[in-house]
Amino acid sequence: MNGEFHLAIDEGLPQQLRDLLDSADGPAFEQALDAMVQQRERRLFRLLGRLARDLHDALRRLGAELSNDDVAHVAADARQHLQDVLEISAQAAHRSLDFAERMRPDADALVEHANAVLERAVAGDPAVALARRALEFGLATRAALADMVLAQSWQDLSGQRIRKVGAFIASVESPLLELVRLTGRLAGEETPGRAAQMSSQADVDRLLAEFGS
Amino acid sequence: MKLRDDVVDKNMRILVVDDFSTMRRIVRNLLVDLGFSSTLIQEADDGNTALSLLHSRPFDLVITDWNMPAMSGIELLRSIREGEKTRSLPVLMVTAENNRAQIIAAAEAGVNGFVVKPFSTATLEDKISRIFERLALSESGA
Repeated sequence: MNGEFHLAIDEGLPQQLRDLLDSADGPAFEQALDAMVQQRERRLFRLLGRLARDLHDALRRLGAELSNDDVAHVAADARQHLQDVLEISAQAAHRSLDFAERMRPDADALVEHANAVLERAVAGDPAVALARRALEFGLATRAALADMVLAQSWQDLSGQRIRKVGAFIASVESPLLELVRLTGRLAGEETPGRAAQMSSQADVDRLLAEFGS
Repeated sequence: MKLRDDVVDKNMRILVVDDFSTMRRIVRNLLVDLGFSSTLIQEADDGNTALSLLHSRPFDLVITDWNMPAMSGIELLRSIREGEKTRSLPVLMVTAENNRAQIIAAAEAGVNGFVVKPFSTATLEDKISRIFERLALSESGA
């Protein structure tokens, strides 16, 4: 052992180890070194065991929660609910459009008739005032019906977003199912959620014991 | 910009393409409000159906949504530009997103106009006017 190396070890090691390095008792040094390594390993295994326990608990909780309704059905139901919203909103929008299209010819006719009355009316004719009111009402109704038609664009705009959410659910459905199956396998059962609930503390402890905890 | 009778033929054949039936109906209503003939307006619910219609009968204008399943609006536009009979057909693209990348892609694919939903009758009138004014100018220039 050269002097440079000896100096580096001395500075980086605890006093107990430095004392042993300086002593001439070789077996005592090896024994102390083994004890330190074992101590570190035990601490590492405890941490690893705690991590494994936390992961197992999290997966078991996830499996139990998802299994209550069966994740496959939950995802399918969610997508169906969104489809229902799309269809119901489309029906509502079409009903509004039906109304606007049905009323539009009446508004046009009112405008046309009011204009005809105004064209033929002579000064002092009492029908003039009524025709003017009818004309204003007809024009306002026509504009309002046009606005109502435009307002139904919400169904298209919201529908496109709903479709995106549906596509997202479909994309996570398969990985989620796989995760639930994994929780089942970890618990030693084939049925995903049920298996997770059936896992015992003894199984967990046995698993952890393999890690030295 | 208002529709000019000498530039825009109110009896033109228009194809409205959108996967949402409500939107197709809204566009149809707006077009009728602008004086176009309802009987000359056809509808398609996606790009593939639109292409079939375009190959089976003549049209003067296509108004298509961008975001559609099966064949999107931009794919439809590219197919129209590739078709021998359809390559000069005016196309007005409709989209729910004011997305710069989409606008550039549509321009590069040869779109004639671009309108963001929701839009008013006046906006639609302006877009159609500009398309046909430009076409009239380029024809007279040629």
